[in-house]
Amino acid sequence: MRRSTAAAVGTLTGAALIVGVRLSVSAPAVPTAAPPAVDLAGSGQDAKPDPTKKPSSKKPAKNDADDDADDAGASSDNEGSSGEAGGSGLKDGVYKGAAVRNPYGTIQVSIKVQGGKITAADATYPTAGESATINPPAVTALKQETLKAQSAEVNAVSGATFTSESYVKSLQAAIDDANA
Amino acid sequence: MGTVVSIDLADELPPAVLETMIGDTCQWLHEVDRRFSTYRDDSEVSRFRRRELTLEECSPDMRHVLEACADLWRETDGYFDAYAAGPLDPSGYVKGWSVEIASARLAEAGSVRHCVNAGGDIRVRGLAASGKPWRVGIRHPWEADKLSWVLSVTDCAVATSGTYERGDHVVNPRSGKPARGLRSVTVVGPDLAIADAYATAALAMGEPGIGWLAKLVPDGYESAAVTEDGRAFSTAGLPAAV
Repeated sequence: MRRSTAAAVGTLTGAALIVGVRLSVSAPAVPTAAPPAVDLAGSGQDAKPDPTKKPSSKKPAKNDADDDADDAGASSDNEGSSGEAGGSGLKDGVYKGAAVRNPYGTIQVSIKVQGGKITAADATYPTAGESATINPPAVTALKQETLKAQSAEVNAVSGATFTSESYVKSLQAAIDDANA
Repeated sequence: MGTVVSIDLADELPPAVLETMIGDTCQWLHEVDRRFSTYRDDSEVSRFRRRELTLEECSPDMRHVLEACADLWRETDGYFDAYAAGPLDPSGYVKGWSVEIASARLAEAGSVRHCVNAGGDIRVRGLAASGKPWRVGIRHPWEADKLSWVLSVTDCAVATSGTYERGDHVVNPRSGKPARGLRSVTVVGPDLAIADAYATAALAMGEPGIGWLAKLVPDGYESAAVTEDGRAFSTAGLPAAV
């Protein structure tokens, strides 16, 4: 089995626009397994309507969903609490969250509680206007998953265009070295 | 400023033949650079920009590129725009197109098993040296040495666009403002130039691009995307390795 590898440096124009190179950026707050329907609905912001706050929504303590939904920075705090923190125990029934407006339309999340556990979650999506053509396919055809950070053995790496400079430090360069 | 092209030939052919193939491929890619670079005053693109050439005087390749850019502009609702930065810059199409041609020429010359990676945009054919499909990793959008997906592919293209290398320099051509919402978009499908244009367009759309990507599935283009806040999405048919 013969193989041969070569790299031609300085070809192509694709990278012409690149100005800066960022190699290390702090890791994002990676959401854990949040219920997809809920997160998708949240789109730009993080889908706050935690099951936990729904039953207590009579108390307007956290009711300003519109406001804090805007600061995505708070995401990691909320993440952990989804699911269990309902401490007081959830009462059976169907709960609807406040309708939240985001740049793509208005979304309302509802959950069903049976035997103290959430048994179903659903969200309504815009049915008219530009958003209507955008949201539903995202829900049906692209599934949300946990962002992985793995180190598997591969033949090649696909990524945003690397310049000759950033190539040197790239995973692809290491692969080429190994094959040379 | 250029990029780097890695060529991996897995064919069981004499080394001399393989070396000739690599030489020919490099020659073609350099030719593309001479003819289409916006950084060379004497390239065909630069001359067309300065109106020293009319459309009729352009080479068939150049006319193909211009037509393809116009088609993609329509197909992406204007989000893939060779004029996004002002003057004509077809680089976003030319790169993938030139690799498609390179791969087709390799096949004509007898290489039926190869992987050409042009700065992160990949065209594979046949099987890898392992005798199995090519394993293509998609770079993690925050950790340069990690992968967020591993694909198992043969006879197809994998293109990724991301904001992590260009920073805010990916512009939404319809608003003129930096593209926001998506950190990285990968499109897998039959043609590298088109896959690349789709990935760039989706990135420019921001988060609504996720919904737009879903519409490409019937045409044979699967995709994966990561939002700026770290949520990952993929189409059901993405050829993920097991």
